[in-house]
Amino acid sequence: MSEPIDQQSEETAPQPSRRIVLALGAAAASTVVTIRPALAQTAGSVLNCEIPVPAPQAAGSYIAQDGSLVAPGTAGAVPPLSRPLTGEEVKVMLRGGPTPAGIDAQSAQAYANYIRRLQAGMSGFTCYASLQMPR
Amino acid sequence: MAGLSYIADDESLVRKVELDGLTALFHVPSGMTHIVAPPAPQILEALAGRPADLKELVRRLSRNFDVDGAESALAARLDELEAAGLVSRP
Amino acid sequence: MRHSHALQVGPVAFRLGSEWRQPIEALKQLYAGYPAPDGPCDFTVRLEAETPWRRWLRPAVAIRGDYTLPDAVPMALAHGLLAAEMGMNLQMALGQKRYLLLHASSVERDGKALLMTGASGSGKSTLSAILGEQGWRFMGDEFALLDMDDGRLHPFPRAVSLKNQAVLVLEEIVGGDRFGPVLRNTPKGTIRHLRPNEEAVARMREPARPVLILFPQYGRGLQAAVRPVGQAEIFVRLTQASTNYVALGEPGYGALCRLVTGTPARAIDYSSTEAALTLIDGLWGEFA
Repeated sequence: MSEPIDQQSEETAPQPSRRIVLALGAAAASTVVTIRPALAQTAGSVLNCEIPVPAPQAAGSYIAQDGSLVAPGTAGAVPPLSRPLTGEEVKVMLRGGPTPAGIDAQSAQAYANYIRRLQAGMSGFTCYASLQMPR
Repeated sequence: MAGLSYIADDESLVRKVELDGLTALFHVPSGMTHIVAPPAPQILEALAGRPADLKELVRRLSRNFDVDGAESALAARLDELEAAGLVSRP
Repeated sequence: MRHSHALQVGPVAFRLGSEWRQPIEALKQLYAGYPAPDGPCDFTVRLEAETPWRRWLRPAVAIRGDYTLPDAVPMALAHGLLAAEMGMNLQMALGQKRYLLLHASSVERDGKALLMTGASGSGKSTLSAILGEQGWRFMGDEFALLDMDDGRLHPFPRAVSLKNQAVLVLEEIVGGDRFGPVLRNTPKGTIRHLRPNEEAVARMREPARPVLILFPQYGRGLQAAVRPVGQAEIFVRLTQASTNYVALGEPGYGALCRLVTGTPARAIDYSSTEAALTLIDGLWGEFA
């Protein structure tokens, strides 16, 4: 092709042969990773913590499969844990590892979801935040 | 009627460093750091300081890139960038 | 407070106070030979009774100080030394603003530093302690301090925290007087602290330029291997390991980008100390 035609093409319509293929990522792929504050890997070095399930503020509530708090005896919900979980136990559980003794897999799912929903101000939130589970 | 419009911050508000084919971005207004893969940096460049809807974005990108049939993929990327706070709807 | 001690570790000065004598005595012994700070302290750690009656009755040591974390569970008095160490880590994790903190071990040779980072159990602490006895200068096993202006690493030679198997390995190499007491049934298992050697202490104010980053991975049956690591992956791993990266903002970002783009990195798999040392020697020869 001659120079003038290229010149003209550049200004009006792009030329397919000069364009770079742009990697687009699949619909469900993730192309953005956001760096979050991490107390993570030093958690074992700085914090010996526990997460009560549920928090004392909600003592007596049962926990639904999705982690929300419900009235005691609600169908499908699991009872409060008799002792708080240690930071280590929570870390393992959230990673899909073995559940602490006395907790079956189904209940563990509910407890794990409860922990994931913890908000600032609720007992156990700092402990959970310090474990920094990747999203 | 044009679709939803998107805009990204001006380039002066974003620091960029290339890392082996991916891009590290520091977004000054939020203080957040993101690692992004193509086409994210290209989308951000196309939207920097100038709003565009999806069709207009495709048009801008197609100046330098082959983006035929990419609308739905680009829409997914825009959602991600919006969730990360790098793109907003003016 | 009734009992206290002041300690200089690299560029950071700590004041530690305690309601009980025992942890402070253990700390003084573990850090024998360390200089006293020559100015005001940067951080304070206080070991306090969780409640007044827990000072004597099944003593419960709460870790307090300039910075503190809610939800922390108090520790037994027998683990008071560990509480003091965790207290210092906590002050650094939450309060350090002058240096970018990397959760990594570091050793130095000829003014150049090797940085090792990875999850618990990767072996970075143990390897740094061993290298420190084999002609390298030990700079730290828990935190590496990155100067955001000039990119050099500053030593932070706290006592090395050795767990389980690693305790035995180092007991074979190092004389008994450098070890702290054996602490059993701690939240992190059995721990013994090891004081860095005299050279590490004497040179604790000397920074070094990082020239190699390693991600060691220990595994019982692992075939010794060296693998490349992408820069983006290193960047993310190091931010995951930095407690103050986000708080430092743009200067932290710039410093970490310069470290990552300017320093070669490799992942190494190993199943024995010897294998690791061989891999490290080879890579050092290649990159240092």
